[in-house]
Amino acid sequence: MTDAIAAHGLVKTFGRTRALDGLDLHVRTGEVHGFLGPNGAGKSTTIRVLLGLLRADAGDVSLLGGDPWRDPVALHRRLAYVPGDVALWPQLTGGETIDLLGRLRGGLDPGRRDALVERFELDTRVRARAYSKGNRQKVALVAALAADVDLLLMDEPTSGLDPLMGAVFQDVVREAAADGRTVLLSSHVLAEVEALADRVTIIRRGRAVSTGTLDDLRGLTRTTVVAGLADAAGARDALAAVDGVHHLRVDDARLTLAADGPALDAVLAALAAHGVRSVVAHPPTLEDVFLREYGDELATLGVGTSGPATPGPATPPPATSGGAASGTEER
Amino acid sequence: MTATTARPHAHPGAGGTTPHGPLAGTGRLLRLALRTDRWTTGVWAVAVAATTQVSVVALADLYADPAQRQARAALIASPAATALAGPGFGLDDYTIGAMTANELALWVMVPVAIMGVLAVSRHLRAPEEDGRLEIVRSQPVGRAAPVVAGLLAAATGVLVVGVVLLAALLTTDLDPAGSVLLAASVVVAALVLASGTAVAAQLTTHARTSSALGMALLGVAVVLRAVGDVRGPRSTSAWTWLSPFGWSQATAPYTLDRWWPLAVGVAAVAVNVAVAAALVRRRDVGTGLLPERRGPAHGRVRGLVGLTWRRQRTSVLSWGAGVVATGALVGVLASAVVDFVGDEPDLAAILGEADDVVAAAFALYVVFLAVVAAAYVGTAVGAARAEERAGRAAALLALPVSRVRWLGTQVALAAVAAAVMLLVAGLVMGAGAAVTLDDASQVGRLLGAAAVTVPGVLVVLGVATAVVGLLPRATGLVWLYVAYVGTVGMFGGLLPDGSDALSPFAYLPALPAEPMAWDAVGAVTVLAALLVAAGLAGARRRDVDG
Repeated sequence: MTDAIAAHGLVKTFGRTRALDGLDLHVRTGEVHGFLGPNGAGKSTTIRVLLGLLRADAGDVSLLGGDPWRDPVALHRRLAYVPGDVALWPQLTGGETIDLLGRLRGGLDPGRRDALVERFELDTRVRARAYSKGNRQKVALVAALAADVDLLLMDEPTSGLDPLMGAVFQDVVREAAADGRTVLLSSHVLAEVEALADRVTIIRRGRAVSTGTLDDLRGLTRTTVVAGLADAAGARDALAAVDGVHHLRVDDARLTLAADGPALDAVLAALAAHGVRSVVAHPPTLEDVFLREYGDELATLGVGTSGPATPGPATPPPATSGGAASGTEER
Repeated sequence: MTATTARPHAHPGAGGTTPHGPLAGTGRLLRLALRTDRWTTGVWAVAVAATTQVSVVALADLYADPAQRQARAALIASPAATALAGPGFGLDDYTIGAMTANELALWVMVPVAIMGVLAVSRHLRAPEEDGRLEIVRSQPVGRAAPVVAGLLAAATGVLVVGVVLLAALLTTDLDPAGSVLLAASVVVAALVLASGTAVAAQLTTHARTSSALGMALLGVAVVLRAVGDVRGPRSTSAWTWLSPFGWSQATAPYTLDRWWPLAVGVAAVAVNVAVAAALVRRRDVGTGLLPERRGPAHGRVRGLVGLTWRRQRTSVLSWGAGVVATGALVGVLASAVVDFVGDEPDLAAILGEADDVVAAAFALYVVFLAVVAAAYVGTAVGAARAEERAGRAAALLALPVSRVRWLGTQVALAAVAAAVMLLVAGLVMGAGAAVTLDDASQVGRLLGAAAVTVPGVLVVLGVATAVVGLLPRATGLVWLYVAYVGTVGMFGGLLPDGSDALSPFAYLPALPAEPMAWDAVGAVTVLAALLVAAGLAGARRRDVDG
């Protein structure tokens, strides 16, 4: 048993909307798995199928070796869930809610609970109706992380947290992973996934479009190279014919290009032959990987083509792609 | 059709105002509110108007003979009947119009007032609670605009129902002038309670608390007019004049046809609106005037039962208080019925022995109490569905909690609460009757009578569970069923034969007027259990929303 989650060919339709369209997802036991996709791609639907709240129309899913639709209660003893939009009972305080959820699970470790409350700086005496979104999320996080479970399913758990709490969250997830727990982390905060995840699945319109380690995925994306050269024009001419080199551009003595992984040897050799003064190579960030998968949608939205230094959506220099990414995240 | 009736009200000219001043944007907000309300308003209007029209026609058919009408007038003048009917105008010449105003009017006013109360809470507090108001207020919209638009939308809804009701009344043989006054009385009573709710809405942070306060006002108004009309017929008691329903019933449509009592109601509306507006100016968005208190840092909520009780506590206690208080009132009034029949030997000839009259009255009241308990049960199961839609069910179902346990706990608590309410009401009613009639056996008889209605309430609970489990999107059907059961339970005699075929109370023995029938009680109980089981099984198979 190496897969905590193994879903194959999941299909789920709501009326005419096909929320999941043959989705595959494999999460290995003990890993932190990033689950990426824009709003409406099917992330929450997938997690709700994994929880047995929704029944897939087709495909099969195995969670901790069991069927979440047929046997939810036994499986739920071994997992905890943090929803993206946390709804709490308005009349209960945060502390009462955490204890209630723990009691329904069969008890939680009071020491761990108190430690988490302190780390997340949660005021547990406030009634839930008076909590902000971030504080409601903290309640759900404390309740889930204080539980002694094998698997954590988290659906955009940090969307309402401030950056300081985001950092606390990262620490806590690392500790959970160090304890051998498996984490499925759906998120829009790509830096967070990049910092935490061992492997990543990117979904689009209800299908997984790429999955693998960050290194695997990076290999599929171009590296941006900026070099100061004694003979920039000469280097441009030498590289123009090399396969896998794109978007060559020269400003005075500076050469900018984007290279596929296999072309990097040739690029470095050509640069060395033309008098390197300085060189900066940006490995693709998760953002680049993510945006590559959504390149055509970005083009439709007019994002990327309008960026001054962005030759095309496939090779965005990090600075402008950051702007482009936040543009898509914010709906 | 009612949607189109609503349209003309949607253009009061405010839509085109420039975005300045406290009322800027009122027109646009009002149009939005009316648009979201059109179906709700339409259903209320059609239901209220159709039920009233059918009842009036049925009364005219049943009581074509003046002698029969006078016999009914004598019966209805009894205190027990007066408490559930009206002030008794025109009893000397009990025409169909007088009968309509005296016996039906209150039961038209109450539902329309409930609609007004709910509409005000929906428009004034809910948007603020869930943050919609912040978005609205950030637009070029005046400070008072959302409140004014909300109140106008609720008022428009009430007016639409009034107009449709009037149209339905005009199709009958009733005097048109009286019908206009009756419809106006219904509208004014509803507006008084709706505007009272607007005041309540400023005191609390939550739509549910505000509608609960509004419903409490409504309950007090019903009781005040009942006490008043029993103490002083033809609206002569001061108690009657403390109740908005008292004012509206004092108009005496079809007999005295007087408009002046409505002035009291209109003045009350003006005062309420002024107070609500003053309160709005004093408070911040998202807060009530009553402060939020801090709570315990650690939980004492014991599991699902504890959670359900915590959620339902206020509801159970307030519905329960209403049921028990009504039971007490009925019990104490029992001797008045006996005296009344004893004083009128002619009446005894028509109605039978005083004991039988008392038993028949009790049998009707017990069903009335059961219908109120059934309405509570509807709210309890509706709350389960609301939990699901809000996403709170998912939080529990992601724990080792099965669907059957989740829904079953809520259904079980509702069943126990309804049963306890009815048994306590039966006991109190019996105790009151035992004291006033000096007959200790009444305690057991009325406790038994109340107990026999419990399976009927459980059928309503079963229907509600089945709807939530099998047809979750049609939760509104539960209310339709509760309204149906209530209507045929209270006015079954007026409606065509067989129209009560779907009500459990049609099959249960009407204790204490009829002998006990164990087989019927058993069959109804089994039906209730089957419906609950079907609902729970459905909940296990379907997707969880929210």
